[in-house]
Amino acid sequence: MLDNIPILTLLTFSPLLGIIAVLLIPKEMGHWLKTAAIVSTLVSLVLAGWMFIGLDHDLEGMQYEEKATWIEIALNQEAPNLNAAEKLIYQFNYSLGADGLSGALAFLTALISSMAAFASVHIKKRWKTFYLWFLILQIGMFGVFLSRDLFLFFLFFEATLIPMFFLIGIWGFSDREKAANKFLIYNGIGSAIMLIAFLMLINTAGFSTPQEDPTQPLQLIYSGDVGTIYQNLQDPGSYANVHHDRVGTANPFYMGLAMKEWIFLMLLIAFGIKLPIFPFHTWMLKVHIEAPPSVVMIHSGILLKMGAYGLLRFGVELLPEQAQTFALLIGIVGVVNILYGAVLALVQKEFRLILAYSSISHMGIVLLGIAALNVTGLQGAAFQLVSHGLISALLFLIVGSIIERTNTTELNRLGGLAKAMPFMSGMLLVGGLASLGLPGMSGFVSEFLAFLGLFETMPVLAIVGALGIIITAVYVLRGVLAITYGQLPEKFQEDGTVLRDARLTEAIPMIVLTAFIVLLGIYPSVLSEPLHHALSSMLARIGG
Amino acid sequence: MEFTHYAWLIPVFPLLAFLVLTALGRQMKGIATGFSILAAAAAFIMAVLVFTERLGENVVDYTWDGFKWIGIGDFAIQMGYEVNNLNTLMLVIVTLVSLLVNVYSLGYMKDDERINTFFAYVSLFTFSMLGLVLSINLVQFFIFWELVGVCSFLLVGFWYTKPAARAAAKKAFIVTRIGDVGLFIGMLLLFWNMPGNSLEFSAIHNAAHTGALSANVITAAAILVFIGAVGKSGQFPLHTWLPDAMEGPTPISALIHAATMVAAGVYLVARTFPLFEESQAALTTVAIVGGFTAIFAATIALAQNDIKRILAYSTVSQLGYMMLAMGIGTMSSYTAGMFHLYTHAFFKALLFLGAGSVIHAVNEQDIRKMGGLGSKMKITMITFAIGTLALSGIVPFAGFWSKDAILTEAYHNVPVLFWVALVAAFFTALYMARLFFLVFTGKPRSDMHPHESPAVMTLPLLVLAVLAIIAGFVYFPGNAWFGEWLLGESPGEHADMTVMILSTVAGVGGLLIGWLLYGRRTFTEDWVEARALPAYQLLNRKYYIDELYDNGVVKPLRGIGYLLDWFDRYIVDGAVKVLSGVMTGTGRIGLRMQNGQLQAYGLIGVVGLLILIVAVVGRRYFHVG
Amino acid sequence: MDNIANSYFLLAAILFCVGLYGALSKRNAVIVLLSVELMLNAVNLNLIAFAKYGPVPSITGQIFSLFTITVAAAEAAIGIAILIALYRNKGTTDVLEMNAMKK
Repeated sequence: MLDNIPILTLLTFSPLLGIIAVLLIPKEMGHWLKTAAIVSTLVSLVLAGWMFIGLDHDLEGMQYEEKATWIEIALNQEAPNLNAAEKLIYQFNYSLGADGLSGALAFLTALISSMAAFASVHIKKRWKTFYLWFLILQIGMFGVFLSRDLFLFFLFFEATLIPMFFLIGIWGFSDREKAANKFLIYNGIGSAIMLIAFLMLINTAGFSTPQEDPTQPLQLIYSGDVGTIYQNLQDPGSYANVHHDRVGTANPFYMGLAMKEWIFLMLLIAFGIKLPIFPFHTWMLKVHIEAPPSVVMIHSGILLKMGAYGLLRFGVELLPEQAQTFALLIGIVGVVNILYGAVLALVQKEFRLILAYSSISHMGIVLLGIAALNVTGLQGAAFQLVSHGLISALLFLIVGSIIERTNTTELNRLGGLAKAMPFMSGMLLVGGLASLGLPGMSGFVSEFLAFLGLFETMPVLAIVGALGIIITAVYVLRGVLAITYGQLPEKFQEDGTVLRDARLTEAIPMIVLTAFIVLLGIYPSVLSEPLHHALSSMLARIGG
Repeated sequence: MEFTHYAWLIPVFPLLAFLVLTALGRQMKGIATGFSILAAAAAFIMAVLVFTERLGENVVDYTWDGFKWIGIGDFAIQMGYEVNNLNTLMLVIVTLVSLLVNVYSLGYMKDDERINTFFAYVSLFTFSMLGLVLSINLVQFFIFWELVGVCSFLLVGFWYTKPAARAAAKKAFIVTRIGDVGLFIGMLLLFWNMPGNSLEFSAIHNAAHTGALSANVITAAAILVFIGAVGKSGQFPLHTWLPDAMEGPTPISALIHAATMVAAGVYLVARTFPLFEESQAALTTVAIVGGFTAIFAATIALAQNDIKRILAYSTVSQLGYMMLAMGIGTMSSYTAGMFHLYTHAFFKALLFLGAGSVIHAVNEQDIRKMGGLGSKMKITMITFAIGTLALSGIVPFAGFWSKDAILTEAYHNVPVLFWVALVAAFFTALYMARLFFLVFTGKPRSDMHPHESPAVMTLPLLVLAVLAIIAGFVYFPGNAWFGEWLLGESPGEHADMTVMILSTVAGVGGLLIGWLLYGRRTFTEDWVEARALPAYQLLNRKYYIDELYDNGVVKPLRGIGYLLDWFDRYIVDGAVKVLSGVMTGTGRIGLRMQNGQLQAYGLIGVVGLLILIVAVVGRRYFHVG
Repeated sequence: MDNIANSYFLLAAILFCVGLYGALSKRNAVIVLLSVELMLNAVNLNLIAFAKYGPVPSITGQIFSLFTITVAAAEAAIGIAILIALYRNKGTTDVLEMNAMKK
């Protein structure tokens, strides 16, 4: 059914629809702009859902693959072994593909984007520009999860930075410029490191000789195609000597152990900044506080996941042996993340900071799952990506609504909101409970799987990390209860009109997100089935 | 019709009630509560049907595990339900107490504006508890285990505007979570060591007995599982949350914190009993923790003044008894433990509901301010007296038989613990006497206008009172029916005349002394308080355990938090700032060179040229590189 | 090359250095301009010396020095014109005051 239409291209560029619509609508018509953006994200959501449901769970490898040559750059033919070749080129392809992991994350992107579009009703100025950046950001995110070419991935990855920079810098709170700068600088450094690692990969493992027909002139290609690189790394001889009567027995592709380790380390740092791992996390605290809540929904819900996705897709999948070498390091960093984030969340006085540190803590669980390097652990990591995306989106959605009404999320200036806003407080409690890993909701499944996976390989780390579960409960309840339980502050008691319960446009996304959280918690198979092959093929080479 | 195969319906009824109440609660003001009660009744009837079916001859355990929860690699975790005699017993207890509490709450919570929410929570709790009972594997068990925890949290904090309720709810959740992490790790341990990575209870039974698990793993797993039970069942040292949880509405204390959820820890040990059987170290741990908790909590109860807190410590103490029985590790002590769980559910629920009736009447929880309520509240007093006698272990009330069964086992197997338990029994009788006489006899000690509670509240009291009298007759010397039914084999002789006499002496003695101290005379001051002040203080402040935890754990942790906060702000972020400072500093120096003076530029150019020349020439003379 | 050429080069070098020193250190713009002229003349001397005594003697060097002289004359004229304009504007010929390039 989906074989004939380029569903991934349609999905990736579906926000263009909204962009065009927003461009056509005059900037004064805020209501229409909002509607157009929401409708556009809903279209993406439908496409993403269609794509995700259509995935064949029994198939290994990528599905819906699309490929077109995009850029070709001729190279000098100086290498002495390769002068038999007619053409020696760099080739960068427009190539998309989806498996269980990227499909799930693309769906998550679509879901959270549309929920964030709903939540953007709180934006008070310059709607037109806001939605333009918003939709461009969405294109970038889809592209990151779906592209199958390092160069393309890098482009999309960068394409998310710029819209985010403006979304934080223009629509944020008081210290927004600083936050935007910090965001850009940290992520820029991360991208630079990633670029170096990618170039190393392209220039070594990206080598291929595509034509099998010996009568045709021989082509030697360096490309960023992930499939090629995967195959080369898996079996270094696979491409080099296809034409050895012409090329000779020389293998132009060679990558030493040390180089592989360096590449892995660089990827770890590059994606670690995004994730973020301790000690590269300070930028995201600032973003969490300063960015408008609907942007934080996307930031915390999806952008952080790009780091983990990159680590899985390029780190673990391409270089599993090196992942094994560094597994202990990753595990320790994961535990540090969990405990460090949790303990710091314990003493914060601002609810958004609590959530920011809790994100650090929860991303530690992803690292633990990766460090486990077995299917269980990786599933835990992937589950945690989706689950934390949903949960943090829900929490920031509510935070946005609370800020709109009270102008603050400082714990000692809030309290007793359950009285004035029972629905929203209930949702906040649900989100909090999901965040602390209550069974029956998605957070538990990921925690369970990640720790289960890690326990097989590093039981001591798993036990130490599990202590974080307790602290998580403490800080989540401390934060949530300080806001919802107790007495209303006097300021609001006098003027109760400020505190109205959720409007319909706020309630819908809350309910939808909660529904997904609960669905994943009760019936995790919806996610674990598509993930199965995507993850087990990652570990095929190390027999995990 | 095979009711056993439809046992899954039992938790579904309250779940439906919860969903309906949550979705439509605000629209259906009047009938919402009826919905919850109806569901509880349906669940109870279903449970009784299953129970009667299992009374027959040659019943086999039934297991259904058709729901694939998650696939991990090549194996999957299945969910389903299992019906055997042990959990059928639990089903009946849970549904019955739940039904009675539902009815009772109709009166007790009548004036609360959030009564629908209350009933929704109660239904959710009943669902979770039943799900827990029916679980087939540890993962499913853990899921419901946490869900009952969260229901307990929600209900303890039901009156959310009270700071004390908020603190208590938080504490209840967090302290039990400490135990849960133990269970969680135990689950991980078992998962990787069990043949076929199966966490099903039946598989654990087999593996423990066939030696598929190494001795170390069994001991570690058993102790970890027990840590979970310690948290949930309020055993020392994780008992502190349970008395605080009395901030919740009283029916909740009866349902969750007396009869069902707190007993889940004991049930967990019973469910994984084969693990414990294979490890003497684990058994000893259980027995010691149980015995110590029994006497420890009983002494604290002596010096408390809040009617519900006394009962709460009493619950802790009685749960200690059950753990003690489990820890002795024979099949007959196992039976005794479950038997006590079963009788205790009734008479403790009765006592709590009675206390609720009193609180409802006088709006006061401090027993020093009560007195003479008996004349105004006949039914409450009589039923409360029955509960007191049952808890104190007086013949022939239910508590006597179950406590006696435990004492007998201890007497024959671990004599030290027998004496501990006996002293605890004496204290139990003493504090119950103090409670009873201070509340119901004498003259009122403050201005209050008590009245008997409405019929919806007294009816459950009467039902439970009857059960507190007769529930014990299923298992007493000469009648081993309960044990045979539960185990499928004869538990062996479980009567001992010496023990009976001693326990009766302890019970009656405790009541008598309590009457002498608090009942005979008009109460003006606490006799113990006046004469043994330091000891009284120690007990009244609960051995300063809360203060110890606060200063020993909470504050240091928060201190570390502040330290790390400082570290994060000034070292981690500071390092970044230093780095960016170096960059801007370099830039500033460069800027200073660009002062607009042509001569300066020229000078710099010349200097640069000179350096170049020196470099080129020098290279030629010194052969560098 | 012989000693005569060396003395030409030495003279040119000294002249150049004097000019460079003057151009970099004098505060009066007129002197700076004069110093620049000195440097140019040092270059001229070099050109002619190489034309006569260099490894490949030819007329090119002399022609080139003629070029330089004319260009220098033009340059001096423009320089002084700018200087006068600046003097009219600022009322000073102190080069330390002339930092408009900073802005």
